[in-house]
Amino acid sequence: MKKEILSIAVFILLIFTSASYSAGLTADEIVKKATHASLYQGKDIKGKISIEITDSLGRKRSRVLNMMRKNVPGSDAQKYFVLFLRPADIKKMVFMVLKHGVPEQDDDRWLYMPGLDLVKRIAASDKRTSFAGSDFLYEDISGRNPMEDIHTLVETTDKYYLIKSTPLKPERVEFEYYNAYIDKNTFIPLKIEYFKQNSRLYRTIKAEKIENLISVENGMEVTYPTVILSIAQDIENRSTSKMKLENIEYNSGIKDEYFSERYLRRPPKMLLR
Amino acid sequence: MNTFKKLIMEFSIKRYRLVWLFTLITVFVSLFLLRDIKIDTDPENMLEQNEPARIFHNNAKKDFQLSDTIVLGIFNEKDKNGVFSRETLEKVFELTEFAKGLRWEDKESPRGYSGVIEADIVSPSSIDHMENKKEGTISFEWLMKSPPKNQTEADEIRKKAFSNQLLKGQMFSKDAKVMCIYLPLTQKLLSYRIYQELTQKINSFEKGSESFHIAGLPVAEGAIGVEMFTQMNTASPLAMAVIILLLFLFFRKPVLIILPLIISTFSILVTMAAMNAAGYPVHILSSMLPIFLMSISMVDCVHVLSEFFDSYTEAKGRKNTITEVMNTLFQPMFYTSLTTAAGFLSLTLAPIPPARVFGGFLSIGVMAAWVLTIIFVPAYIMIIPKKYLTNFGIRQNSNNFFTTNLNKLGFFIFRNSKKIIFSFIIIIAICIWGITEIKINDNYAKRFSSSHPLRIADSILNKHLDGIYTAYLVAEDKNQGIVPDHYIQKIVSDINALFIDNENSHPFSVLKAVEDAENKIRRIYEKEKTAEVFFEEAAAYSDYKYTHSPENESEAWDKINEYLEAEKEKFKVFKNPDVLQYISDLQDYLAANSLTGKSQSAADIVKKINQELKSGKPEDFILPKSSKGVSECYIQYQQSHKPNDLWHYVTPDFSRTSIRVQFETGDSMDMKKAVAAVSDYVKLNKPPVDLSFKWAGLHYINLVLEKRLVFGFLKSFAGSFIIVFIMMTFLFRSALWGFLCMIPLSATLAIIYGITGIIGKDYDLPIAVLSALSIGMAVDFAIHFLERSREVYKRKGSWETTWPEMFKEPARAITRNVLVISVGFLPLLTADLIPYKTTGLMLFSIMLFSGIVTIILLPALIKEMETFLFKIKIKNKALEFTKECEE
Repeated sequence: MKKEILSIAVFILLIFTSASYSAGLTADEIVKKATHASLYQGKDIKGKISIEITDSLGRKRSRVLNMMRKNVPGSDAQKYFVLFLRPADIKKMVFMVLKHGVPEQDDDRWLYMPGLDLVKRIAASDKRTSFAGSDFLYEDISGRNPMEDIHTLVETTDKYYLIKSTPLKPERVEFEYYNAYIDKNTFIPLKIEYFKQNSRLYRTIKAEKIENLISVENGMEVTYPTVILSIAQDIENRSTSKMKLENIEYNSGIKDEYFSERYLRRPPKMLLR
Repeated sequence: MNTFKKLIMEFSIKRYRLVWLFTLITVFVSLFLLRDIKIDTDPENMLEQNEPARIFHNNAKKDFQLSDTIVLGIFNEKDKNGVFSRETLEKVFELTEFAKGLRWEDKESPRGYSGVIEADIVSPSSIDHMENKKEGTISFEWLMKSPPKNQTEADEIRKKAFSNQLLKGQMFSKDAKVMCIYLPLTQKLLSYRIYQELTQKINSFEKGSESFHIAGLPVAEGAIGVEMFTQMNTASPLAMAVIILLLFLFFRKPVLIILPLIISTFSILVTMAAMNAAGYPVHILSSMLPIFLMSISMVDCVHVLSEFFDSYTEAKGRKNTITEVMNTLFQPMFYTSLTTAAGFLSLTLAPIPPARVFGGFLSIGVMAAWVLTIIFVPAYIMIIPKKYLTNFGIRQNSNNFFTTNLNKLGFFIFRNSKKIIFSFIIIIAICIWGITEIKINDNYAKRFSSSHPLRIADSILNKHLDGIYTAYLVAEDKNQGIVPDHYIQKIVSDINALFIDNENSHPFSVLKAVEDAENKIRRIYEKEKTAEVFFEEAAAYSDYKYTHSPENESEAWDKINEYLEAEKEKFKVFKNPDVLQYISDLQDYLAANSLTGKSQSAADIVKKINQELKSGKPEDFILPKSSKGVSECYIQYQQSHKPNDLWHYVTPDFSRTSIRVQFETGDSMDMKKAVAAVSDYVKLNKPPVDLSFKWAGLHYINLVLEKRLVFGFLKSFAGSFIIVFIMMTFLFRSALWGFLCMIPLSATLAIIYGITGIIGKDYDLPIAVLSALSIGMAVDFAIHFLERSREVYKRKGSWETTWPEMFKEPARAITRNVLVISVGFLPLLTADLIPYKTTGLMLFSIMLFSGIVTIILLPALIKEMETFLFKIKIKNKALEFTKECEE
């Protein structure tokens, strides 16, 4: 009797595992595709980002910034250039990142503050700090390296994959694990839930609006599904940040030289508008 | 009066079974009403809901998201590294992790839980460290990401911590002997629970070189709230036991001595039940109600017993004796109860909600005790089987200590009346001087005896840190972020001026944009005057125009947009470096003059960020010169693990700021000094923009509370003093007698508060509350004494023949009462809470002094004023007599 139950259990298990393999993708592959879909589409991208932060008392504040990003061909490396436009008193503040895309190598980050007339390098350390005082973290903007977590496929539905990711170095992050709901078609993470000890949910990021943007890559028309509205919620602080992307342009041929210290103080003109 | 008296006495003696039934029913009803009693331990509730200071405090708490905070201090002076030893830091880490888990699901709380607010914990493992490293690099990281593995890592943490002067004196002490974990709570009332959980966790640690201390006002308030009730449970039975013992010494018959206990239990029961049924929770103040009632309700009964004991003989029988006793005592008992009740009733006029409840129900309790004394005591005596009274009464115990000594005392007073009066005048004069020396001050920590863990924590933490008592000084832009009318004109002309350089070459499109902008701005202003929204809308419009206009016009809109965005920032006054400098100077002034301990403001944060961004050197701990620089510092501060920390110091519209001010003592006096100093400073040094300064925080609320309480009690005290005087004048039909009757009370008060002033004890909340008690009790003996004196004088005709009678039963009754109540409540001195000790001592002194003054000073005064007093008396009597004849 016991043997029979066991064999049934094994059988059921086999069905389930083969089901998840039926799509032919392992958890790591899904995560890889998801990372690509959310961060690496096209050769480059630029656009305007507006962030509206609403605190627990309903008080709102906003940030507007222009951003450009360029992939380094043949690697996972990327360059980011972020120019603040509003509020007026932090206008022209610049944040620049050279992301190496290698797990052991920390990103290079620069900061330019016109009011203090200072260019600073930010020491390689924690990337899980707030981005511009919002509920998004630096790591949400520039992406978390998939190699830093162990990914397991928890569930597959007809719409999404549910991936549970557990950090390899738990002492370096504030979460215990996170669950990502990844769209089966676009591989865009629709929702990410971060948990602390005892599976206590404390923050979420949702892709609220996704648009298919058409561009030309290598002479071919391509469609990039792009998140144009995402919402980060800090449950502990009851604070929410909405991030809106506008005027997005893929593959506009952003020059490499823009991503240099020289341009921190004199940002490219096209970013000032 | 006489018919009323007769009616009641007949009823209680003849229908004693009915009285028993009625009493028992009342007891059962009361017990039923006492179910699920509600308790309110929040001292804040002593202020009216609409008290401006309380409203401001609550708003400030909300707007700056400030929470009541428990301070968990770790003290290590044995290790040479102090609290920065590897072992201690490990425990600090563990305790922080433990504290993060001290939260419980709570659907009613807006956060969804109640307990420790993890995001706001201040501890080495939950705060950021920002550092300027070599080659123009800055780093942001947790100060203590994980517990150090060895002492080198611990030293590294120490170095980082010491580089941050914002933390020095707050999170850790400069001598490295104390480390504090600050645990903000969702609700203050959780503090005792958290306190117990932490204590349990600490006890689970293996004994190390450190000791742990929990402090903070919420804990002290919480502990008072809880311990007042628990100590009530140990102190009251102890007091009861002593009282029983004393009563036994006096009256010998257990069957009689339980009578006062029945009376007091009954009146406590009825009062508490009535209070609960009326929907009032038992507040800390009302937790004193049973102790108060126990003493007061007993007095009448002890008088009856004393008199009964002194006049009972088997021949006379209990019925006749009790009739005789009640006859003599009815009037004075009625009046003493009435005066006591009136004294408490005056508290209902106090501007303090729990005091009103306390006073109202105390007076109900007093009257309940009176009713029971006059109807139940005779009924009780009637059902005692006769055999229990064998050998009862003073004639069987004629070698009584009181009888002989009181007579000697009476004789001495009669002989030395002038000297006695003179000595009292001197004593009172000294005491009045003492009263002028009284210090009004309250300190929550001082509610605990010096061996109490909270008191020890208080002294250790405040000794090493720059104060753990916190208040918040809130500065507001007087415009409050509103655009004034005249400002619109300025905006319009400014916009015109933007294009003035080359006016002639202005294309039509530019002029169109300017005109359009002007109109739009006026329209927006009509419906929205809040700077934040006004400029937001105006800027949004110009931004829209900028993207949707032809090139020439678009450029103009860009300029307008930039201008509006810049103007908007000007309303954020706490981005202005001059304003921040002013705040910083004010803080320096307070610290330099030792008016406060450490304080922290948005200015300090900006300085710290600026320092690390620039060089990390101490000389760069200054404010940036431009508001743009300030804004950049603010945004850098927010790019941390805790972006919301900034909003504890400024509101997001930067029109209000909150300065966290630490105090090294819990003394309300020091808070008061700081309040005065700030208002003086602001008067003498005009801020760069119009600012208003107001205080918030528990420590400040306690000062407001103290003001309300001290003066509230003083006022109602004065009120009841007058009421009692009027009642006495009415009772004796003579203002002179009324005045005489007030002397023991006045003298008692003068002596008690004189001593308070002379020994330098602070006049604090518990003492203020007790003044209410004194008025009700201190007048009682005088009423008994004077009323009886007049009765006896009527028969005897002279004071010389009257006083020996007075020093028999009446003096004995007073003496017994003095001893029962004063000694009976001395066990309260063993309590751990100072308010209990104070109550014990105050009851002791009130009874003792009012007894002494009544027995010693009053006869001396009567003797000296005999002709004067009794002439009027006789005249009155004659008048009454003629009246009666006429009727």
